[in-house]
Amino acid sequence: MKLLHTELLIARHFKNSVFKNPAIYIITSFIGALLLFAAFSGWDNYKSQNETSEKYQHESREDWLKNPDKNPHRMAHYGNFAFRKSTSLSVFEFGMEPFFGNAIFLEAHKQNTANFSEAGFSNSMLRFGEISIAMVLQILLPLLIFFVGFNAVAFERENGTLKILLSQGISWKQLLFGKILGIANVVMLLFVPTLIVVVLIWLTLQNFSISADETVKMLLFIGFHFIYLMFFCVVAVLVSASSKTSKKALVSLIGIWLIFTIILPRTTQAIGAYLYEAPSKIKFTSNIEEDILKEGDSHNPNDVHYKAIKDSLLRVYKVDSVQKLPFNYSGFIMTEGEKISSNIYNKHLEDLLKIYAKQNSFSKAFSFLNPYIAMKNLSMGLSNTDYDSYIDFQKQAEVYRYNMAQKMNALQIKYISNKKPGPNDKPLKIGKEHWAEVEEFHYEPKGIWDVLKSEIISVISIFLWVILLFILIRIAAKNLKAI
Amino acid sequence: MLVLLFKNFIRSKGTKIGLLFLLIIGFISLLIGHQFQEKQQNNIAETTLYQKEHIARNATFHKDEIGLLLYYIKFSLVNNTLPINSLAIGQRDVNPSIQNVTIRGLEGQKYDSELNNPSNLLSGNIDFSFVLLYLFPLLIIAFSYNIVSEEKESGTWKIVATQSPNTFLYILKLFYVRILSLIALLTLILLAAVLFLQIPLDQSFFVFYGLSILYILFWFGVCFFIVSLQKNSNFNAVILLTIWLFLIIILPAGINTYIINTYKVPEALELTLTQRNAYHEKWDMDKQETLDKFYKHYPQFKNYVLPDKEFSWLWYYAMQQMGDDESAVQSKELEAKLEQRNRASEWIAQFIPTLHTQIQLNEIAKSDLRNQLLFLKETTKFHEKLRLHFYPKIFDNEPVDQQKWKAFKVETFKDNSEISFVKAFLPLLLFNLLLIGFGWRNFRRKVII
Repeated sequence: MKLLHTELLIARHFKNSVFKNPAIYIITSFIGALLLFAAFSGWDNYKSQNETSEKYQHESREDWLKNPDKNPHRMAHYGNFAFRKSTSLSVFEFGMEPFFGNAIFLEAHKQNTANFSEAGFSNSMLRFGEISIAMVLQILLPLLIFFVGFNAVAFERENGTLKILLSQGISWKQLLFGKILGIANVVMLLFVPTLIVVVLIWLTLQNFSISADETVKMLLFIGFHFIYLMFFCVVAVLVSASSKTSKKALVSLIGIWLIFTIILPRTTQAIGAYLYEAPSKIKFTSNIEEDILKEGDSHNPNDVHYKAIKDSLLRVYKVDSVQKLPFNYSGFIMTEGEKISSNIYNKHLEDLLKIYAKQNSFSKAFSFLNPYIAMKNLSMGLSNTDYDSYIDFQKQAEVYRYNMAQKMNALQIKYISNKKPGPNDKPLKIGKEHWAEVEEFHYEPKGIWDVLKSEIISVISIFLWVILLFILIRIAAKNLKAI
Repeated sequence: MLVLLFKNFIRSKGTKIGLLFLLIIGFISLLIGHQFQEKQQNNIAETTLYQKEHIARNATFHKDEIGLLLYYIKFSLVNNTLPINSLAIGQRDVNPSIQNVTIRGLEGQKYDSELNNPSNLLSGNIDFSFVLLYLFPLLIIAFSYNIVSEEKESGTWKIVATQSPNTFLYILKLFYVRILSLIALLTLILLAAVLFLQIPLDQSFFVFYGLSILYILFWFGVCFFIVSLQKNSNFNAVILLTIWLFLIIILPAGINTYIINTYKVPEALELTLTQRNAYHEKWDMDKQETLDKFYKHYPQFKNYVLPDKEFSWLWYYAMQQMGDDESAVQSKELEAKLEQRNRASEWIAQFIPTLHTQIQLNEIAKSDLRNQLLFLKETTKFHEKLRLHFYPKIFDNEPVDQQKWKAFKVETFKDNSEISFVKAFLPLLLFNLLLIGFGWRNFRRKVII
């Protein structure tokens, strides 16, 4: 108890000295205001994004159901939409959201791009970043910690008070822990109220009915940010303790901050993108088209693949022309075509995603050297605004599209007569009651286990950092000199 | 004297490391710009080849029905990429520089996005404009935050003050040395860029260069002003970094949030839904009604009457046309909203030098939102031209093999909007004068001891 007493005394003393400087009030109240602004705009953005996407998801569903009796293939082209919805944690962490397309048009034969991203409708201002709670916690608070903490030990050394402290029987370990607690104390004055606001907003948004999954994500979001901020407190004290003057401490800390939050994230991603060049859209689509043609072209009457199918059908059903088959032949061919083209598309997409994963691997690996990247990736994962979540959304949309198209083909095979209508006959139709057989698109965000699995590197690296800092404190406590 | 000051400045290890770091990252930015340029050129080459093969292949498959053929074939329009674009990639990585469209409804094709890794977009490019905007100021701050204050703290200032007839002039010389070094560095990088990226030495380039110099001077102005307050080094460092943080992150991000929330664009989604319904509902409606609307839009096609068949291409393309015509209101609204966004951000940016510089650099490099909007407009024109060309041929069912398919090459859109010197230079010039003026006043008011 006695030991902790000394540390708390140092902490309290440090906190008081910080608050003697009037500038700290300006800075903290400013950051407080910024946090409020971030919370408010995040909320506003989340609500309008989700309201819009829900509104149009609903509207497009109504439109789909309202269609009159018609040929199912017409419906396959009428298509459906997948609108992206955000999770409640994305109020606090925007992640890559502005760069995600918000709507995908889902139709037969064709995988459309996800369109209408916020970035596509913005000028370059967006590229400076956005103000979210996570951004304040991950970028601004560490800088505040450094501004508060650079003096912690170095100033006492400059003043000569360090010698007095140490000669009074206080150990380096006590001094370091005391100072760390002191800085943490100052930061918690911002962090704790922020958490209260964040949790309140989060509860209100979900009308106080929260799922276990969301709760775990929220708790991890809070917990990891706490660890992250403590990390910077420790770094500030360690650097301050090992610097001869407070100016040197300040300059080193600013350098560390710049490298961690501004320079490394951009550089590592840029290196990845530079080394692993992804194909352009035109290359991607023309490669797919080429492969589909190789496999079999349903438009070409002499195509080998389709001719084989035709011949085997004729053999099995013992008829001499496709018109005499007991089911709709063109529906059957389209089912086959959809299967081939979507298999090929998925194969190419896998290859493309592998290139993207390689591009991202650099920055992921660097999270072992840079806790900011680790924290950023983890918090984007928890709020489902990371790369994996977006790919997941696109994949869910593609699965839905495929099933919809094949459902319409199945309806055609089953209900549409195989006899082609003449030029003046009415087109063949099926009843509109079938439209409801295709369920509405529903996007299910990745659960906590999947998120942790894909962000395992970040989690490990944060824990490694914690261990490393404890070791560093021990080494420092042994080797530091008073002068 | 100046030579000595320069030697003193350059001899410090920190200075050398700083300059070397900036030079290396400057060259890296050129490499990235070069890769971007190559990628754009390859895209165009691939598109050209693709369009040729694609049209030829489809023309052999669908040789009897030109209407069916035009259902499939795509025509490409390229948004011209200037070499200087490699220095300020801007929004060109987000937005596609090539549009591929069929003559069917445009609204469903116009906003197709580029294939992208969102991680790359989030972290942003290391192009030259990033180096200039983010990193130059940091080095400027590192070089000048301790002018005077450090000498005061180490006790050498009194010697300087007594030996120099005019201490203010001495301070100016200190700044002069630093300004010259950084402008030399900038010139070196841009010179390398001109050679490496084959940037023509035209008006665009010189405005780009001038803007970069003014931007560097702006940051020296900020440092000059802060130094003139004559506080200690730690205070200067903290306050300068805070200013940097404000101008580079907080203000742009705050304004962006404001603009996005003020000008929301739900029209985009509305547009796609309307367009889809407007076209598809025509399948179940009276054919003559659709055609009457079509004739109203294009009276010149009135003499093509609806054939007495269940399906005709005339009717099909009239239906497609209605998808565009009946969603035209939403399309116009979206366009107007985006133009408002662009105007509002350009207007606010005048008061924030970092934002202003970024937007102007992108404007010169034709990689801003305005260029994208112009490209979209041009796409509409391009599409309309194709429609008007092919409509009569489809309605007459002209033979496929008699068309000059080879004549349909990839077309290029060149954004020829003028660069305004006043708009580019004036805000920065005013800021610089203000900062220097106030700094000067501070120095004159307070004796430098």
